[in-house]
Amino acid sequence: MNTIRQVFRSAKFVTGFVIFIAIILLTILFPLFITYDPLDVVGNGNFYPPGTYISQKDTIKANPYELRIALKQSNVGDSLKTDELDKIKEWLTQYGGMGKSEVQDADAESLIVMWTDKYNPSKRFRGMLASEQKYYKRLNQKLTELLTDKDIIIAEQDENNELKEKSKVKSSDFVNLKEISNKRTLVLGTDNFGRDVLRELVSATTTSLRIGLIAGVVATAIGLTLGLLAGYLGGFIDDLILFITNLFTVIPSFVLLILISYSVGQKQRGVGLVALIIGITSWTWTTRAVRSQVISLRNRDHVNLSKLSGHSSFKIIMTDILPYIASYVVMAFILQVSSGILSEAQLSMLGLGPATTSTATLGLMMNWAMLYSAHLNGSWWAYFPVLFMIAMISFSLNLMNTGLDQVFNPQLRD
Amino acid sequence: MKKKIQKMASLFLAAAVGMSILVECSASDASSVLASSESVISAETEGEEVLPGSTPRNETLYFAGQQWGTINDWNPLSSNSNNSMGVAQQDMARALVYEPMFLYNNLDGKLYPLLGKEWSWNDDQTEMTIKLNPDAKWSDGTPVTSEDVAYTFEVHKKYNTGFGIDYAAYIDTIVPKDSNTVVIKAKLGKDGKAVNPLKVLDYIPKVYVLQKAYIQNVEKRNNNQEDGVKTDKMEDFVSSGPYTAYYDDDQKVVLVRDDNYWGQADSMWGALPAPKYIAHPIYKDNSAGQIAFSKGEIDIAQMFITDIQKFWEEDNLPITTYLDEPPYGVGTMIPTCFYNTRISGLDQVAVRKAIAMAVDYDHIIATAMSNQSATFEQVPRSVMNTTDAEQALVDQDRLKDLQFGNDVEAAKKILDDAGITDHDGDGIREYDGKNLSFTAECPDGWTDWMAALEDVAKAGQNIGIDIQTNYPDTNTFTENYSTGNFEICINNATGSSVSCPWQRCMVLMYSGYADLKTNTLGNWSGFKNKEADEILAKIPYEQDQAKLKDYYTRLSEIYLTEVPSFALMYRPQAFYNVNESVWTNYPMNDDGNNIPPTVCTDGYGIAGLYQLQLVK
Repeated sequence: MNTIRQVFRSAKFVTGFVIFIAIILLTILFPLFITYDPLDVVGNGNFYPPGTYISQKDTIKANPYELRIALKQSNVGDSLKTDELDKIKEWLTQYGGMGKSEVQDADAESLIVMWTDKYNPSKRFRGMLASEQKYYKRLNQKLTELLTDKDIIIAEQDENNELKEKSKVKSSDFVNLKEISNKRTLVLGTDNFGRDVLRELVSATTTSLRIGLIAGVVATAIGLTLGLLAGYLGGFIDDLILFITNLFTVIPSFVLLILISYSVGQKQRGVGLVALIIGITSWTWTTRAVRSQVISLRNRDHVNLSKLSGHSSFKIIMTDILPYIASYVVMAFILQVSSGILSEAQLSMLGLGPATTSTATLGLMMNWAMLYSAHLNGSWWAYFPVLFMIAMISFSLNLMNTGLDQVFNPQLRD
Repeated sequence: MKKKIQKMASLFLAAAVGMSILVECSASDASSVLASSESVISAETEGEEVLPGSTPRNETLYFAGQQWGTINDWNPLSSNSNNSMGVAQQDMARALVYEPMFLYNNLDGKLYPLLGKEWSWNDDQTEMTIKLNPDAKWSDGTPVTSEDVAYTFEVHKKYNTGFGIDYAAYIDTIVPKDSNTVVIKAKLGKDGKAVNPLKVLDYIPKVYVLQKAYIQNVEKRNNNQEDGVKTDKMEDFVSSGPYTAYYDDDQKVVLVRDDNYWGQADSMWGALPAPKYIAHPIYKDNSAGQIAFSKGEIDIAQMFITDIQKFWEEDNLPITTYLDEPPYGVGTMIPTCFYNTRISGLDQVAVRKAIAMAVDYDHIIATAMSNQSATFEQVPRSVMNTTDAEQALVDQDRLKDLQFGNDVEAAKKILDDAGITDHDGDGIREYDGKNLSFTAECPDGWTDWMAALEDVAKAGQNIGIDIQTNYPDTNTFTENYSTGNFEICINNATGSSVSCPWQRCMVLMYSGYADLKTNTLGNWSGFKNKEADEILAKIPYEQDQAKLKDYYTRLSEIYLTEVPSFALMYRPQAFYNVNESVWTNYPMNDDGNNIPPTVCTDGYGIAGLYQLQLVK
């Protein structure tokens, strides 16, 4: 009890703990309020940017309110950027047959008048870049839209396929967002499949935490058992276990991880199995550390006393040795969880993680974001939150670990 | 204070660990980008330290997305040449270095002259006479003659090259008539008719013409040994094309224009191609190429780029595609999902049709292809690609009722009606007492196919059929599908060639391929249908358009009813993304020149090289 109180007095531990608990709470609470399937496809396209999406049909059908406020872009000239105006000037002098002086000092309004007079979208200009032709076409489109100050007419098709005017939309018409029933806020936009990134991220965090915990438990259990046995029993068993441990230490565990995951095959590779594979490839350092600690404990007085009293080896290990290394084991466990999460992310980025259609994991999200080059076309929302989440998880775990270390390690205590 | 610093440090460390994942995958990109920008800089600052093989930027046309490793030879007889800029004998042969007799244009389905001036059949389609262009010359100045054309085929046959084996079944001999005329004699069947006139026609835009004297020289130095001739590097090659080898290493391949090229004669192009050099930097992956492309270091990028329109809409870069609007290119290839019909469950039409019906194709096209494919509303399903030339050969009205897609309820109904239901309540339907559970595969890294496959898996999930995706490496994948060791896979149905759409129908349905031990030719489904075989046998002899239309429509009906495989999307022959930082006047849809968007190198697309201009 005292130790726990001490632990919670460490600022570092508390910070890490709070962040970690916050992440866990997020993964638990969020799905309670947002209930749709994390793998649901919302968008029909790649990487829709973050924002609130409201149904266009609903806004037309909704009750209009007339607001007398100054509208943005009420003036055509204002809504054009300077580089667009420059482009118009350039075109007018080069292709529109206007003199430089006429164009240079003209204001936006008169430039647009000249433009609409001269420009013909179906004409191709010799010597002009194809991309420029397309640019002017788009610019012209924008201008025509701006210039049509007329109301937009909503029409319906009757039985004879004829359009019948139903209502008009004026520029002073507004709708109240609350009255629109069909809307969806995509806080972090969508990914390459059109899935809601935020919802997916929460679900992926849950999966990753689960993988980390399973991997951590497995790795710590194996490492602890082997370390205790080797350290306490000594002799041949110590040699054997140490031999195996060294063998596994020498083979880079990530290569081993890749090989095992690859040979298991995609079909069997679920969340549990991936976690298990990560666990059984990352126990070696725990074993070595536990072993050396046990060796130093083995010859302490209280252990010898227990031996003399005729306690069984099992009881001695459980009551006289384990409590002394418990703090270390907890710290090792935390590190294993953190590295398990990172391992999954790395595995999934190589396409060796769980299947895309069945689960969301942080690594898979990164993998698909990279495959569809989100990092090249500015779709930061598809990969940055994932990176941030991975960083936050390992940061909080590491912080807790350092906090614990400060409490338990007398050399670090200040 | 100390604590604070420690805290900051640990925060930084933790963030660094997270970031390392990202860095791991982009570091390689950065380094190759660095490498390429170096070469550009050195080209500009002439006189200082000049890198080997660097060329002036304004005389060089840069490509990306075609060459992925150091080139291994210049040998058109080789079966494992990786020299994709120099040696690419395909349906639309790349005519930069070597040249075929004719250039195929997939926009109108016609052949355009190159070494050959004109071709004609005799009345019963057993002999094809080809007149060569008398101006045609080799790079050593000697004329291209009928002897060369005849000897090329002989060599292919003699050394059992891929083409030799393939075409020997359809072409008996090629004989020179006079120095500028050759006659291709088709192999005749028992009935005295040519075995397959279409395959004879297929030869002329595909296979390069080689110089007899040079090839004899190569044979001599290899003692006429098959292995020796086929693996000869041919670095001293003699060719007839406008470009020849200039420099290559593990960073790039550079070709240089042959200023004595025969094609500047008025009988051919009447000019030399605009770029003096053609260079292809070798990148690790598409991302590296894409970065260089967006910076204007690459002029033509043959690669799939997600949200390509962002380049001009948001970044205002001088980048364009063949069409202004989606699908941006011309869909001539059809990535197709093949079922292995030899497998229990997939031998049932109901299962095959149900999966195909439940797939959300709009989603595949919008996300997997990033809208760079026509939708199935725009170009309904048949055995045809999206070009007008092919669509004219099918009666879409007759296929109206056979269209399918994104209809989960109907798919469920088909399965229910066929008695394929879920008996044990695990959510997965059974057939023959076993759960319907399949693995669907395509090569790793082929992102559009991978994403499409995820949609197929999802469709399975929606109708109670378990489909898992698997992405083996390309070699494993090739072995899997060619030996029939797969359940569901994606593969390409032939894009555009002079023998299409017949060739594509063969790939989709011809039962003769079904029992091959190693099958690289087509019909990986192992599908057998007697009527389809009969129609496929008739088409090569048919010249009447109306009859052909009827045949192809019937084939489409069989294909859409039996569903041995189904199209996922349409894909261009080559992704044609151009950056107008240095060069302009690339072939475009609305320029009225009828040059196909085959990256200015393939088939009649090479005509684009003659109209390029420097940006002023």
